[in-house]
Amino acid sequence: MGYMASAAQDDRIDWEAGLVQRARGGDMRAFERLYRDHIGSVYGLCLRLMREPTSAQDCAQEAFVNAWRALGRFEARSSFATWLHRIAVNVALSRRRKAAAQVELPPPPRDPDEELADSPGEWTLDTPVEVQEIESAIGGLPQGARDALVLCGIYGYSHGEAARMLGIAEGTCKAQLHRARALLRARLEPESHR
Amino acid sequence: MSDPASSKIRRLRELPREVAPPHDGWPALEARLRESAARQPQQDVQRRSGGGVARPWRPRLTGIAAVAAVLAAVVVGVSIDRWILSPAHPAPRAATAPGVGTAAGRLQVAYVTDPRYLRERAALLRSLNARLAKLPPPTRKKVLQSLAAIRESMRQIRQALGREPGNALLQELLIDSYQNEMQVLSTVQEASYGSGEI
Repeated sequence: MGYMASAAQDDRIDWEAGLVQRARGGDMRAFERLYRDHIGSVYGLCLRLMREPTSAQDCAQEAFVNAWRALGRFEARSSFATWLHRIAVNVALSRRRKAAAQVELPPPPRDPDEELADSPGEWTLDTPVEVQEIESAIGGLPQGARDALVLCGIYGYSHGEAARMLGIAEGTCKAQLHRARALLRARLEPESHR
Repeated sequence: MSDPASSKIRRLRELPREVAPPHDGWPALEARLRESAARQPQQDVQRRSGGGVARPWRPRLTGIAAVAAVLAAVVVGVSIDRWILSPAHPAPRAATAPGVGTAAGRLQVAYVTDPRYLRERAALLRSLNARLAKLPPPTRKKVLQSLAAIRESMRQIRQALGREPGNALLQELLIDSYQNEMQVLSTVQEASYGSGEI
């Protein structure tokens, strides 16, 4: 990272620390700024964990409500983004647990092509086909494997960080990631290579 | 590993981390946070009284001067409200984020109740359209959105005050809203004299 980029990053952190400080004091405008800076990544994370835009938006909103309430406990040992992501993952896992506890009808059998074409609802005509293909394949992964892949593979968290967020052992997280990559490779491989 | 599947897997980190939500969730979130902030003192009292029947909540204001200042501000707020809502001054329609004027110092409660403040505010509002016309369209949009969001928050706070006229937190929030509005109006005035950037 060059000096300018590093300085810009430092400025951003200082600016953000100032916003966090003000938001802690109850300054709603400062919190709004933090919200607008981070909603994209928080919503993206929730969407990949929940696989449904309405649930993802509820999840992201709840994450920010929880963040506002817990601002006094934010200690800046991690970045604000990481802290927010941890809260969002907690909310998503808790919502999924609640949903799983409810009686659920078995889903109807699905055509594999239909599964590939199924989008999380956020793609547009501008989204590259390859991105759609990869996102669809990720969406079709089993939950545990998908969680590990999203946090480590897309959001760049280490095995340890992802494991802490998901409340699992680091070894389990590594195994889930390995499984996710194998399944993803099988799903993305063209017929001719199988 | 150079097969197509492996190359796609290597590109995972290139997938966009940020996804734009289908709509702006801030206004709803802000309303939720303000509502829970207004409820919090009552819940604290309930917790302190052991979770039994809650005693009526009384604002913990120390001193008659503070109470008088807050009440006077609310009275002014209500009288100004009639002026804002008069058909001659329709509110802008857009509703999202204020993000301007954050560096300006906080106005004092006494200032909000001061007739000079009221005159200054009235003058700024009268000249607002002319000043907005001098600003670049994106800046103009930002200002209108900010003012709309502030007025929406004023409306909601006044509504809540109608139900809980003695809530000191709501009264403070209302004053905050007037301060925020004044900051935006002052910033617009400065910008219309200068580069037009906000």
